[in-house]
Amino acid sequence: MATRALLQCVRSVARPSLRLCTGNLAVRAVAAPAPAFFRGHCFTADSRRTRLLGNSRISSVGILCRQYGDLPPLTLETIKERVMYVLKLYDKINPEKLQTSSHFMKDLGLDSLDQVEIIMAMEDEFGFEIPDAEAEKLMTPEEIVQYIADKKDVYE
Amino acid sequence: MAASTRSQVISLYRMMLKESNKFPSYNYRTYALRRVRDAFRANGKIEDPKAVERLMEEGQRTLALIQRQVSIGQMYKSQRTVVE
Repeated sequence: MATRALLQCVRSVARPSLRLCTGNLAVRAVAAPAPAFFRGHCFTADSRRTRLLGNSRISSVGILCRQYGDLPPLTLETIKERVMYVLKLYDKINPEKLQTSSHFMKDLGLDSLDQVEIIMAMEDEFGFEIPDAEAEKLMTPEEIVQYIADKKDVYE
Repeated sequence: MAASTRSQVISLYRMMLKESNKFPSYNYRTYALRRVRDAFRANGKIEDPKAVERLMEEGQRTLALIQRQVSIGQMYKSQRTVVE
């Protein structure tokens, strides 16, 4: 999670500053976000940049504004990617051993408490509740993907 | 351990983690999560039904305590710490 957030910060800082190089405020604008970025405050960097641009170039403000929108549509492929991503970040799973068909207890050596935590992580990732009775049946990444696809009405 | 008790333990674990996640304060939240995880893991190997029974009761009491403390914490929110 933290790495993903950091990557987004890097991208959001890197991309607009490239565009700014042609602007008349290039030096100031590029210089301003850089130190802010090193302190790790993306939001201060963002607001400062927007303010600078608001005074000078109206056309690029549109680009810099955050584009709100819905999440990309769920497909079996994206669900699978996200499930595997969450599992890779779980510290007791060896990412090299992890496969879509591996059984949490038999192949990965986890216990029932770990399985509960994995299901809770999935609930956080996909934003819905999985009831106890169903949760204890989900033992492989494949089953989780299938279950989520059923719940979210995703078919091929 | 009887099958019913096993699923009871799992559901208690789930509920305690869920409730602990609701703490508004970072320090209490991380402490509660860590404490619940460690306690369940430490007592995971106990087979004696009496001991399991006793621990389940203790768990239920702790769950109620967490719920009370969460609602108190939500009434009196403090300033967020830097780590949040």
